[in-house]
Amino acid sequence: MGFLKRRTILVTLILFFASILLFSLYQQDKSTNNPLSRLVLAVTYYPQKFVSASTNKVVSVWYRYLDLVHLKEENLGLREEINKLRQERFELYEAEVQNKRLKKLLDFKEASSYPVVSANVIGASPSILRSQVVIVDKGTGSGVTQGMPVASYDGIVGRILVTAYKSSEVLLITDPVSAVDAYVHRTRARGIVKGTGSGCVMQYIEKKSDVSIGDKVISSGKDGFFPKGVIIGTVTDIEADGSFITASVSPHVDLNSLEEVVIILKNVDSVVLNE
Amino acid sequence: MNNPLSIILFALISLLFITLQTTLLSPRNVGYVFPDLNLLLIVFLGIYKDVRGSLVLAAGNGYLMDVLSGNLPGTFTISRLSAYLLVRTSSNHVYLKKWIVQGLVIFLATIFSWTFIISIFRIRQDTYFTLTLSEIMTQAVVNTIIGIPLFWMIARLHAKLQK
Repeated sequence: MGFLKRRTILVTLILFFASILLFSLYQQDKSTNNPLSRLVLAVTYYPQKFVSASTNKVVSVWYRYLDLVHLKEENLGLREEINKLRQERFELYEAEVQNKRLKKLLDFKEASSYPVVSANVIGASPSILRSQVVIVDKGTGSGVTQGMPVASYDGIVGRILVTAYKSSEVLLITDPVSAVDAYVHRTRARGIVKGTGSGCVMQYIEKKSDVSIGDKVISSGKDGFFPKGVIIGTVTDIEADGSFITASVSPHVDLNSLEEVVIILKNVDSVVLNE
Repeated sequence: MNNPLSIILFALISLLFITLQTTLLSPRNVGYVFPDLNLLLIVFLGIYKDVRGSLVLAAGNGYLMDVLSGNLPGTFTISRLSAYLLVRTSSNHVYLKKWIVQGLVIFLATIFSWTFIISIFRIRQDTYFTLTLSEIMTQAVVNTIIGIPLFWMIARLHAKLQK
């Protein structure tokens, strides 16, 4: 009884609503749209609408947030996958390019009349005084000796300058102290291909010789260093120089991006070396 | 007291510097704007004269440059040894330990080194190598910028070994 006394208002309200419910049930058969119901509906509409709208908004924002979190994770995962695929594609491309280069080197090895040994470029000159020097990973241990010609599948690269047991220095044909006896492939006009630091020039071509831009220049084999018939480059410019013609020659090999080379194991006469 | 280990340290630094200069920092890869680590080490040895065997190290570094630059006939050995001696004989001044003075010494040593080499070429009438004044200046500036923090680092390493 004490409970009822203390919660009089609550009990009154419960009874009130219960009676309304009973009244409504009673009236159901007569009319489904009684004024009390309408009133109730009318009164509860706005709060319901407000709560519903607010809840929907909060829920919607929450779901959007959850979606975003999920999307972010998915995005990160996809990005990672893209990067992995890109890396894989790059590695495949690198492998393909290397494969092509090695295949060409192999073809060069098979076509060469001298035994050859392939080498990788591991360094270059530390100074600008003579920058046209590269270091390769083969030396006397592989049968390499001073003066041996170095080539790539694209043509002549240079010759061995200094050797150690496991490495050697290669003087590139673009070095100003390099000289290769050569002739123009089309007309057999002879000259000396010298380095200029950034490219090559073919000097001492007789004035009556037939030389044109685009002609291929190949080694004559008469200098004692390089074997005959290896491509050096292409004539890009011609100018008269006294009683001779001087032709600018663009090396066939891209000497700035050398990675693999072949050393032609052709022994050089000590007389030629000393010269 | 000079720790004998310091000569090993400087020999290792020489090897590291020349390796860097023939690979990542080779002028074939980076052009004229490359830090000449080998020259920087030689200038350092000239300034910090308490390093044992610095004369041998300076000559050895010059020789390394000669051999790796296509077996040049002592061009770098002589020019770098001269630069070393020049710095060493003028390094009595207390201000040489100040970074700004060190920067100036590096700048001047680079110019001296190239002037020396170009003079040899002119005397020998070798025309295949030319270097313009602006190219020399550019290298002197690059060496100075790289050299100052590098000197600080090497000096600290050297000081640690002395303790």
